[in-house]
Amino acid sequence: MTYKEKASWLMLVAMVLAYSLYFGLIITGHPAGKSLFAMLWLFGTIAATQAVVVIIGCIWLAIEARKLPRARIDERDRAIAARGTATSYYVLLTAMIVVGVVMPFTEPAIKIVNTALFGIVLAELVGLIVVVTSYRRGWHG
Amino acid sequence: MAKLPFTNDIRTLRFLAGEMTQGDLGDRVGVTRQTIAAIEQGKYSPSLEVAFRIAHVFGKPLEAVFQWGTGTN
Repeated sequence: MTYKEKASWLMLVAMVLAYSLYFGLIITGHPAGKSLFAMLWLFGTIAATQAVVVIIGCIWLAIEARKLPRARIDERDRAIAARGTATSYYVLLTAMIVVGVVMPFTEPAIKIVNTALFGIVLAELVGLIVVVTSYRRGWHG
Repeated sequence: MAKLPFTNDIRTLRFLAGEMTQGDLGDRVGVTRQTIAAIEQGKYSPSLEVAFRIAHVFGKPLEAVFQWGTGTN
């Protein structure tokens, strides 16, 4: 596996764990699903922890990759990353239309915020899944 | 994933070039060992530049390295 593939797996696993916890708590009635202040605390804590884990993990992967003489990012890594970004864009666009155009007419602010966060997380997850799948199954540009 | 419409003889050419490793070829072409492996397995379609670079390493014309599949449009 290249550095980019390992980093993509790390980000995917960290996101699944972190946001399964966050949205799991919201669904099971945590105050973050009702109060903006509680939501900011919960989301901030989980997002910051996830970010720290990913940053430390990526630094460690980069140090490991430097030990190999042929560690570099090449055209295949860039093509796969572009494919992931292009796919996640459509998910993000759809989610933002829902939360920005549809939900304001019927839903409270806290629900709109949490749905927007879910849309962003979902878009990123879809992009990462496309990336790791492209590495495993092949990418023909 | 759809199969590529062309095949390649990179593995054979590496063998004939003194059993050159995928990593060595990657170094000379400017890509990773994993990308050379993906090209050999038909899992990645390289850019025209990389295809020419690979052919240049072996001192062969492009069509000696990559062959368009017969019966493919």
